[in-house]
Amino acid sequence: MAYQPKPPDGWLKTNLRYYKHPGSWAWILHRITGLGLTAYIFVHIYALTTLTQGPKAFDDEMKLFSTPVFKVLEWLLFSLVLYHAFNGVRIVLVDWANGAKYHKKILTVVYGLGVVLFIGMGILMFREPIANMFASLK
Amino acid sequence: MKVTLRIQRYNPERDSEPYYQEFIVEAGDEKERILDLLHQVKWKFDGTLTFRRSCAHGVCGSDGIRINGRNRLACSTLLRDVNYRKPIVIEPLPSIPIIKDLIVDMSDFYRKYEAVKPYMVNNSPPPEHERYQSNDDAEKLFESAKCILCACCTTSCPSSWSDDNYIGPAALLKAYRFVFDTRDEAADERLDAVDTPDGIWRCHTIFNCVEACPKEINLTWHISQLKKRLTEREM
Repeated sequence: MAYQPKPPDGWLKTNLRYYKHPGSWAWILHRITGLGLTAYIFVHIYALTTLTQGPKAFDDEMKLFSTPVFKVLEWLLFSLVLYHAFNGVRIVLVDWANGAKYHKKILTVVYGLGVVLFIGMGILMFREPIANMFASLK
Repeated sequence: MKVTLRIQRYNPERDSEPYYQEFIVEAGDEKERILDLLHQVKWKFDGTLTFRRSCAHGVCGSDGIRINGRNRLACSTLLRDVNYRKPIVIEPLPSIPIIKDLIVDMSDFYRKYEAVKPYMVNNSPPPEHERYQSNDDAEKLFESAKCILCACCTTSCPSSWSDDNYIGPAALLKAYRFVFDTRDEAADERLDAVDTPDGIWRCHTIFNCVEACPKEINLTWHISQLKKRLTEREM
């Protein structure tokens, strides 16, 4: 009697169980940040619909977006942009230049640049509010 | 030194699902191969343990298995390459049908491999001596020609896991091997075969194939050369 081979596990289970190295993490992060940015586009377009409801509705919304919670969310959104953009350049280098031979080095640069610019943006965004906070304590 | 092997077992005559079985074997030193330990299990403890192996020296490519979660050749992996203080997990290659224990059904792998015509096509009349190829041109093929068809790369690829029709890195590497061969005349047919959504463009440069390859072939680099050639052809 011939036996049917046992079908393999699904893609998600295999993904979770298989060994991860810097390249696979880069891909997983690229997917997650890509999905995050796509979701953000929809939120962004939805938020802009207040434009059709007159200046007051829009101004109120902008006031909400300038609260600290939204500032921090904006900062985190910037981290998605940074990673997705720089890793996108890395993928282009892998595909069209000889990047496949140095992809881990390029990845180090991606992470390094990303962290530096993320912290830099944090300083730009929060320098004033934090200074004000300490000033009010005196 | 005692080493524990945690082996995934599956007997289609008896089991509905694979399960794990542990064996404690005696290893001489950390230079012993995983294959030696599998032999020990088969010869001393359980003769029904089923796995493929032929040359046992990393040339035939028949003993590709998953060791501690990553695809490797049992004959080219030494104990010191893995953490043997904990049980070593031995499983069949992922995302490919299991026939029995560590033996997987490679027919789909070979079907995709054949799609790129893995043989020389040259219909012009043969010259008096050999079909000449310069050293420089031959050099471009050496790395890609090292492939031993163990399927470690294709079964390690997340694109293969989620797309059954993805042609896979092994077949793409073979396409490179002949597309960039100056003596070959069927480059366009091969490029047509891989220029599909389920073909080369499903490669998302994850580098799992490169990490898995026991012959240390940089598959992603070869695939990127094919991508470039395809774009040039389009322009």
